[in-house]
Amino acid sequence: MSSVSLTNEEILRYSRHLIMPEVALAGQEKLKAARVLCVGAGGLGSPIALYLAAAGIGTIGIVDFDVVDSTNLQRQIIHTTADVGRSKVESAAEKISAINPHIEVRHFNVALSSENALEIFSDFDIVADGTDNFATRYLVNDACVLSRIPYVYASVFRFEGQASVFAAGDGPCYRCLYPEPPPPGTVPSCAEGGVLGVLPGLLGVIQATEVIKLVLGAGDSLVGRLLLVDALSMRFRELKLARNPDCPVCGENPTVRHLIDYEEFCGVRGEERHNDAIGGTSATGSGALPEIQPEELKALLDRGEDIVVLDVREPHEREISRLGGPAIPLGDLAERVHELDSSRDIVAYCKVGVRSAKAVEFLRSIGFRRVRNLAGGIDAWAKRVDPSMPRY
Amino acid sequence: MIRVELPAHLRTLARVDGQIEIEVVGAVTQRSVLSALEARYPTLRGTMRDHVTEKRRPFVRFFACGEDISLKSPDSPLPEAVAKGRETFLVVGAIAGG
Repeated sequence: MSSVSLTNEEILRYSRHLIMPEVALAGQEKLKAARVLCVGAGGLGSPIALYLAAAGIGTIGIVDFDVVDSTNLQRQIIHTTADVGRSKVESAAEKISAINPHIEVRHFNVALSSENALEIFSDFDIVADGTDNFATRYLVNDACVLSRIPYVYASVFRFEGQASVFAAGDGPCYRCLYPEPPPPGTVPSCAEGGVLGVLPGLLGVIQATEVIKLVLGAGDSLVGRLLLVDALSMRFRELKLARNPDCPVCGENPTVRHLIDYEEFCGVRGEERHNDAIGGTSATGSGALPEIQPEELKALLDRGEDIVVLDVREPHEREISRLGGPAIPLGDLAERVHELDSSRDIVAYCKVGVRSAKAVEFLRSIGFRRVRNLAGGIDAWAKRVDPSMPRY
Repeated sequence: MIRVELPAHLRTLARVDGQIEIEVVGAVTQRSVLSALEARYPTLRGTMRDHVTEKRRPFVRFFACGEDISLKSPDSPLPEAVAKGRETFLVVGAIAGG
């Protein structure tokens, strides 16, 4: 029996729950007593927070350091056009309170880090992960395991999503499934590869459902199961997962007993941060690569320097914007490398500089010496050199 | 004929849509399926297993008939349903978008 009770107004609000025996008054009181932390107020975090608020989760925490950007609005339905430029946690907290004034919202306008995660998590019963990068996912997992808090997980890319519940009971954790992250740049982020706007909606609602079931203690949770969602074929499949006895965090002899440096664990820089990379080199799996800033390339081209500006994006991206020069998608580069002249200066570009870094790395590995990566890609060019160019 | 399903980013790399059908000579095992796959799509080399040691990458897992077979020996025979093409050899990779 929980220590909270519902007011008459709340009883009316939650009446569709209260008439279900699986929830009933006792269950709704459990929901009111529950404290759930949403890490990220983005594509996944939006439906998670909105539905948990509507369902009557008594305390909802939101962690996000970001501000609302117009490219978020295609999927991050907790934010509106008028919120562009506002802090995401403020925007989200406002919507949550508007949906349900009976709940407490705690917002943390910070980047979740090894320094603050355990302290923030200590005030919550369940963590729902709506982050967008590997470093924070490993941080959330490890902090949940160390804090003994269930970790309700989902991730999305293009038309596909994955969901599970980790670190609950005897079930596996995220590291049991993926002990190490991919090297930076090898798995595209949503910013690079895109995501169907409704997909995080689907997965986020699954996460919210799992949170509510965990609070109620009802049904079969996704503990020990990985749900795969393919929106294009609209197939839902589940795969069995087992705890790894050798897991470095939740195994029988754990070696990770405190939070580590997750940026380092996941590579020099997170792939999302690559977007904002500045300086003379690109971080890749095999070290530093020569880079050129958009302003510098513009100056060289204006002076009439002989530079091959190589587009390694896909043809549909080229329809949106281009800098001129040849186009060889990264996947075709090995077959079509003979089209390039290694005696000329080459600057490779893609959307934000991740794929072109791989192209530069490949070209250098086969003997091209005068090849550089356009830092920040055509996106940085559009922001800093040619604001009339469409961004995507 | 073995049916293989790859995650989206590897399909992009291999330039394929949907499932892949490949012929495997001899015993149908993780190793023989992956070798046939890499022979047909050289851009996949190194993405699912190490170029040299052929050890599975820690951010990729293999499933057959709904079961995680990632920790099984790469030379263990795959379930008959996969060997006969009734079920797919499923490759699942870590994604981080949110």
